[in-house]
Amino acid sequence: MDFDLVAQTFEQMEQTSSRLALTDLLVSLFKKTPPEIIDKVTYLIQGKLYPDYEGIELGLAEKMAIRAIAASSGENMSTIEQVYRKTGDIGDTAGEIMKSKGQSTLFTEPMTVERVYSTLDKIAKTAGPGSQEAKLRLVSSLLHDATARQSRYIMKFVMGKLRLGIADYTVLDALALAFTGSRANRQALETAYNVSGDLGTVAKIVATSGLEEVQTVGITLFRPIRPMLAERVSTPAEALERMEGKAAVEYKLDGERIQVHKGQDRVEIFSRRLEKITGHYPDVVEAVRSINTKEAILEGEVVAVNLETGEYLPFQELMHRRRKHGVEDAMKNYPVVMNFFDVLYVDGSSKTSLPYTERRKALKALLAGKQDDRIRLVEQIVASEAGQIDRFMAKAIEDGCEGVMVKQLSSTYRAGAREFAWIKIKREYRSELADTLDLVIVGGLYGRGRRVGKYGALLLAAYDPENEIFRSVCKVGTGFTDVHLEQFYQSLEEHRISHRHARVDTGMEMDVWFEPKIVIEVIASEITLSPSHTAAKDSIRQGYGLALRFPKFTGKIRDDKDPEDATSVQEIASMYKRQLKTIGKQDSDDRQVK
Amino acid sequence: MVFIARTKSPEEWKAIASAISTLVDEATFEATAEGISFRGMDPSHIALIDIQWPNFAFERYECDTVVKFGVRIDEFSKLIKRADKKDALEITLGEDQRTLHIRISNGYKREYKMLLIESSASSTPLPKLSFNSKIVLTPGAFDKVLSDVQVVSEYISIDAKSSRVEFSGRGDSGDASIALESGSEGLEELAVQEESKATYSLDYLSKITKAISTAGGSVAVEFSSKMPLRLEFRIANVNRIHFYLAPRVQD
Repeated sequence: MDFDLVAQTFEQMEQTSSRLALTDLLVSLFKKTPPEIIDKVTYLIQGKLYPDYEGIELGLAEKMAIRAIAASSGENMSTIEQVYRKTGDIGDTAGEIMKSKGQSTLFTEPMTVERVYSTLDKIAKTAGPGSQEAKLRLVSSLLHDATARQSRYIMKFVMGKLRLGIADYTVLDALALAFTGSRANRQALETAYNVSGDLGTVAKIVATSGLEEVQTVGITLFRPIRPMLAERVSTPAEALERMEGKAAVEYKLDGERIQVHKGQDRVEIFSRRLEKITGHYPDVVEAVRSINTKEAILEGEVVAVNLETGEYLPFQELMHRRRKHGVEDAMKNYPVVMNFFDVLYVDGSSKTSLPYTERRKALKALLAGKQDDRIRLVEQIVASEAGQIDRFMAKAIEDGCEGVMVKQLSSTYRAGAREFAWIKIKREYRSELADTLDLVIVGGLYGRGRRVGKYGALLLAAYDPENEIFRSVCKVGTGFTDVHLEQFYQSLEEHRISHRHARVDTGMEMDVWFEPKIVIEVIASEITLSPSHTAAKDSIRQGYGLALRFPKFTGKIRDDKDPEDATSVQEIASMYKRQLKTIGKQDSDDRQVK
Repeated sequence: MVFIARTKSPEEWKAIASAISTLVDEATFEATAEGISFRGMDPSHIALIDIQWPNFAFERYECDTVVKFGVRIDEFSKLIKRADKKDALEITLGEDQRTLHIRISNGYKREYKMLLIESSASSTPLPKLSFNSKIVLTPGAFDKVLSDVQVVSEYISIDAKSSRVEFSGRGDSGDASIALESGSEGLEELAVQEESKATYSLDYLSKITKAISTAGGSVAVEFSSKMPLRLEFRIANVNRIHFYLAPRVQD
């Protein structure tokens, strides 16, 4: 197949933004494409060489691209760099330069799609020392024989800048029209795409074997399934209206949503965008091996965690994991836990058509026998009243979550679909905290891991001068050095009491209680409404106190302060009101750990 | 395995190495019982060099098999250039076939051992061409013509007629035009079957000509309208040095 057919179509596509026109262009291209290579053409259209989960990049440096253009056009580097500065795009630069390409070559080979694809494939697979030179030679070998138009798209592709703006569903529409004669059959193609995660393969099946064969495409282990997506509402009441009176409510953790494929002796992890990211989470891979099943596809949220206190950490902490080298160190310094919330496949059979309640049951059963505490079942309740969801959500946010997911109990797993069967509610306000607070230690939890025999977290309280009591405002476990921990253990020992102190008010359960004596300084990212802490209770909202989110000990022990000099609950309430801001509506679910 | 190639002077090697270095960084030579050959194309496929150096041109030549040896051409040139005009040069392969031994003798004896690079396996074909016009010049005359045009232009057009050949160039600063007629100094032969006109990159032509002209002899320019050109450098002792160059496309 002549590559110019593809290049021509790309050119026409760039000039239109109408979805219908794009579809027509695709249909006519697909009809001209031999079925054996339609998968390749489909990937090229998307600016890819393989389905997403292969995750391979061409990796040609800009400088090398300019050298390739220079070698093939006979122009000098500085002229090309000048044009590049003007256009800002290597592909456009190549198109411009090659237009005036005055130099012919001694030998020419025809530019076929097969040749272009296999050369690009070789470029992607060339690695190691000297690979940039080898990639350069491969790119040049194409450009020698390419027209200006072909060069333009080849270079855009090579640099990862081929943006034709073609959505998956447009490709599906075009495939349905080209090979089944009716757009109505898109649904069947889409279903196959959703479970296989591979548009190229779906294209090839429909082009070679027809619609019936497409309908047999099922879930395959190690091929990522397109995730089911959620609609968004603002309040629990709105969410419940969409449900059947009752719904499951889960923590929506502030981490990365991943799909885990477990085989007998292999585990792979895919991102929400179906890229293979197994390398980022070797600890999750290891933990998942402890799940007692031959094969499974599970979905969950991986979250950074403070192992000694069990506290979840903000999304940003996961960034340290997205690296090629030093993952071992990152693993030690930024541990994670895996919170599973769904199961899509177990031992050869798909679970996607089971209702939510059955899948949750199956998931629970799977995780019941696991040997590793890095794996958890996501926190969940079944609620029938908005108030229940409200409280659960406040607790979730205090625990470091973004909000909650409300899920219809009878809903099946619809891969790739965004429907009201799943609804997310994220908090809409936040109250950022700039000042430090001085708080009184009133309770403690025993530590785990490196903190065995010490305290893992301390319960802190603010002072309520009106009632002369201390009201809890957070648990803190972050910011302590080993020296601090030792020191605290010693000095708290003399204030240790067998029960909650009469002047301490809290909804928290603790391992040990202390007489309110020691004042320490903490910072926190924000103040949030809490169902379990009692500081400023009812002053902002009936039934809720205020709590600190992501609190951290600054290292300062305020020996100079009496417990009654600690930050007061009134101060905290006014800080909350002063800082309250609406959170932008833009959705953070599509963000990735970069 | 035996491979010995001895020449009375380093001059041919110098010319060959510097010719090759105008096109590629790495060169793979092939030695057989018949002699040494090289064929290579620049990365952009615009020019090609084809060299045949027969056994009888050497003072001593022995090769009982087919040997390929790859060198980084600038490193190789550097070593060859250490030899004076009257020095004899002997090139052999190391036992393990991973080094090239270069012995320079006459004045005093020197020996270099040079690490070979992995030779590229791909073989370059020759373009199939027929030429309508042929111009034979002394290297000095050809180099001068090229330099005359290069003052104003990056390209040279050659217009060959039965008794007259015109070289011209056009650039931002002006035009250049040089005419040679049968009998002009430096023009040894002009044979035109069909009038021919084509344009070529001066960069390629002057580099290769400067690289080889020091070796003396003559140069034959063969071409047809809008087709690749072939330069044949005729230097004593080397059977064939052919240089092919693809034409510029007229706008």
